[in-house]
This record gives sequence, C-alpha cells and structure tokens, in this order.
Amino acid sequence: MGDPLVEKANDILDRAILATAEFHQFNQEETDRIVEAVFKAGFNARVKLAKMAQEETGMGKWEHKVIKNVLGTQLVYESIRNEKTVGVISSDPRTGITEIAQPLGPILAIIPVTNPTSTALFKILICLKSRNPVIISAHRGAARSCTETVRICYEAALQAGAPEDCIQIITSVSREFTNLLMAYPKIALILATGGTGLVKAAYSSGNPAIGVGPGNVPVFIDESADIPFAVKNIIFSKTFDNGTICASEQAIVVSDTIEQKVREEFEKQECYFLTPEEIRKVEKIAIVEESMSMSPFIVGRPASVIAQKAGIIVPEGTKILLAKLDGIGKDYPLSVEILAPILAFYSAPDYQTAVNICIDLNYLGGLGHSACIYANDEKRIMEFAEVMNAGRILVNTPTSQGAVGYFFNHLVPSLTLGCGTGGKNITTENITAKHLINIQRVSRRMPNELWFSHDQAAYYDETLGVDEIMKGYYKNH
Amino acid sequence: MVTFNYNPDRKVFMATFSGRLDTLAVQKLSEIIQVNLPVKDGTSGDKIIFDMKDVEYISSSFIRICVNVAKQTGSGLFSITGCQPLIKKTFKISGLDEILNVS
Repeated sequence: MGDPLVEKANDILDRAILATAEFHQFNQEETDRIVEAVFKAGFNARVKLAKMAQEETGMGKWEHKVIKNVLGTQLVYESIRNEKTVGVISSDPRTGITEIAQPLGPILAIIPVTNPTSTALFKILICLKSRNPVIISAHRGAARSCTETVRICYEAALQAGAPEDCIQIITSVSREFTNLLMAYPKIALILATGGTGLVKAAYSSGNPAIGVGPGNVPVFIDESADIPFAVKNIIFSKTFDNGTICASEQAIVVSDTIEQKVREEFEKQECYFLTPEEIRKVEKIAIVEESMSMSPFIVGRPASVIAQKAGIIVPEGTKILLAKLDGIGKDYPLSVEILAPILAFYSAPDYQTAVNICIDLNYLGGLGHSACIYANDEKRIMEFAEVMNAGRILVNTPTSQGAVGYFFNHLVPSLTLGCGTGGKNITTENITAKHLINIQRVSRRMPNELWFSHDQAAYYDETLGVDEIMKGYYKNH
Repeated sequence: MVTFNYNPDRKVFMATFSGRLDTLAVQKLSEIIQVNLPVKDGTSGDKIIFDMKDVEYISSSFIRICVNVAKQTGSGLFSITGCQPLIKKTFKISGLDEILNVS
C-alpha cells in the first residue's frame, strides 16, 4: 500500500491525462459545442450558485455574486465563442507563417474562497475552449458551491460529447496535497488565484504557472477630477460583493487642496472616517499581525459588521470605513490589501508627493496588479500610468468592475488578472482561452533578401566595424 | 466496428477496429471484446493484436479497455498496430503507448 496522497494524485492525473488524449482529437466545432453547453448550464445556475457561495462562505452579497457568475459565463463566453483555438488559427501569406493551436494538457485551477463559483465557471470555460482538462482545486471554505458548479458543468459537457474526466474537482485539500499536485510532472499548467503563499508555491512547483496574488490598488483622485463622480464610483466598486474582488480599491490618495472636498463627499455618500482610536480597533480585527495579512473573518463582510466586531459605533447604513493614515507598511496595518469595505486614505501636500504615495502602495503588495486615477487632465493620467507598476491602469473607472473587463472598458472579461513580472507572471493581460494553448508556427521558406544579397564574408573581416558592415547590409534598400 | 480473427498456427488473435470509437461506441464494444477475446486468465499464451488502421477516433474509455486487455493478456503478448498518426499521438499523450506496445 503506497502513500494515499500519492495514490489519490495519481488517480486524478491519470484520468486527466486520458481526457487530454481524447480531447486533442476534437475539432473546433466539437469543442465549441461543449463550451456553449457548459456556458448555458452555468449561466442558468447563476442565481443558485451565487446564493450557495454566499451562504457557504458568509462573504459578499449574493446579488453581486450573480453578476460575477454572469461575467464568468455570459461575458467570458461571448469574448471567446468566435476565437479559433483548435487547429489552424491563422495563416499569413505575407510572412508564410501558419499558426496551429494545440492544447496544453491537464490544468490545475485553484479557486479562491472570495469568488468561488464565478472563478470556477470562468476557468472551466476557458480550459474547455482550449481543449484542456481542468482539475478544480476548491478552497475548503467553498467546497460545496464549487462541487455543485463542477457537477453542473461536467454533466453539460458530457451531454455535449466531452471526454470523461474533462472536469474534475478536489475538495477539502490540505496545503500538502495541493503542493503535491502542483509539482506533478503531468500537470501542464497551474492557474493559481489566491493568497501570496499559494501563488508562490505554484511558481516554485516546477510546472508552468499563471498566478494572481494580491492587488493593493491605489486610487489617485487628481485636482482635475470630478470629485462627486469619483467618490460615487469608488463606493460602487468597493461595496461590490463587499470588496472581495482583488482589483477593488485599497487606498484613496489626494492632495491637501481637495482633501476636505473628498472627505465631505465620502461622508455625504454614507461612508465613515474612523478616528485614530477607532483605526487601532479596526486594525486589531482586520489584520493578522504576524503575517500582516487580512483576517479571513472580515473578508467580504459589510462595513457595519466589521464596525460591530471592532466594537465601534458607526451611523446606520455606513457603506465604507475610511482610515486616514500617515504612512505605509507594517506600522500602518490598514495600508495592506483588505478585501472588505475598508479604505486607507492619504492626503499629500502636492501632486508629486501624492503620486509617490501611490507608488509606495503599489510596491507594498500589489505589484503588477491594478491602479486607478480619477482625473480630467490627460497629461497627469499618462504621468501616473507611466510610474505605476500595474497591468491595468484604470481611468475614471470603478476598479472592481473595471479590471475584470467588459463592463466599463474593452479589457478582456476575466477572473484571472495577469500581473506581469511584478507579480511573477509572464503576462499583464487578463487571462483567457488564448493563454491556454501552445501555438505551433509552420514557417514556409521565404529567403530574406537583405541577408542573401549581402556579402557575408564581411563578417569574417575583423577590420570592418559595425558602421561599415551595416552600410553594406542596407545598400540599395 | 470490430471483427475478430484467430490464427491458430501463429497463436495470434487479431481484433480489427474501424470508425469512431467514442464513449458510446465503446460501451457496446466492451462486452463484445469481453466475449470474444481469450483473455480470461492470461495463461493461453496467445498474442492479441488490436489493428487500428481504420480507426479515426478513440475515447479514453477505449484506452482503458486496451489497458485491461493488456494486463489480462500478460507481458509482451498484447500490441496495437496500424495506427493513423492522430491515433498514434493519442496513445503517446496518454503515456501508455509503451505499456500497450503501440506501433
């Protein structure tokens, strides 16, 4: 009798490998039929799954989780339905290059507790569109809703002719088992969405990974901004599913000249500025001191519940708790990412200092993720964008709904947001089906005239320098 | 979908498959193979060859059948021949091509 964990992993991967073998024989039409069937089944279960996820996790609002499920099904489906992901996907007679899409193989999709059903639906759709079997690794806090999501999708996929075991799920998994699976050579790719530790483990596994970790999203409100509009949008975004989207706003930065106006606008729109004493109380319940990470007990909870847990009294109907801070980092616990309706607030003496605060926040724990500016000054928008290290710089846009694409812009709809090298990713794009294929390039012979018309003996003549050789290289062109 | 042929001189049992061996087809095939192949205890010494030259698609359930037959037949007595390139690649991806003696 071997190690039961290893045996379990072997069984899952053996099934996934057989599904891979079968799946790669599918043509585009057969693939699209499966994707459409799964989209429809997932979409039709959007309300049921949203309610299940909210009840099980205690996080967020089911009405908003419905919208997330719509994003993960309808909007994602519409963005990929006409994409070519099988066989020849492009052919350019000018270059003589024909591109052929091939599947990757089993994909391990790690699902966060904050967006369980929507992320599972999304990852299942993009994996199937690219003919890759997917193994959903559900957070133990969302095992039931993820299991139901997988059941619905898998049944629909089989009905549409998909290979057996094209969707599998593992629940109640220990970190040890997740690490074991991630390191399995038979895993083609890890799609990791979760905390920093998990994402780092994915990258350390030895298998290719696209991992999305924390986003400590700074929001700069410039003097040129429409302040009531900016505040309204920030509230709309930060209260969406009680702030559980990793692209949600984390800190508001303004210059002193508009601080009072911004504060008044937040208060007018039912947000509450904590006193220094109240900030300390909220810090204690919101942040785990040792790890400087958010407490799971406040994630996705309404502002009123967080206030109650902290033992502070806030006006009825308070939407967001704001904490004016003097600094960033470990001495200021509320300056880190918090997926709940809590916002750090900074005021700076001038524009440059304000942008520098945004840079510090960006580098504190959200490198490569997202940043936001409210402004009506194009020069400032571009200045801000150039100094941020963020895959998405959102302009006059609520970041929760903006970063995930479609609603407020033309970013690709996605629940996995690439963070570039800042977040140890290979891409800053919103992840979709096209990232889950190997592209083979069939390259026809097309001799390069520049190369062959040039006297190559020149390269062996040490007396010739770069200028002389380049002159000869481009002669008569 | 499948025909069987036994050559007593060479002690070779040949199963010749054709068409699409998808999940539904394999459900029917499974019983036919059980009944027709001499693989009850693996002691007959007969070789079993699956001829795949007219097969255009195989499901994972067909690969599972191949594995079961190979196990019952015993070491070195089972092989798969005549695969079209797509089917050959399918066995390759499954990682079972060596165990199944796919050529």
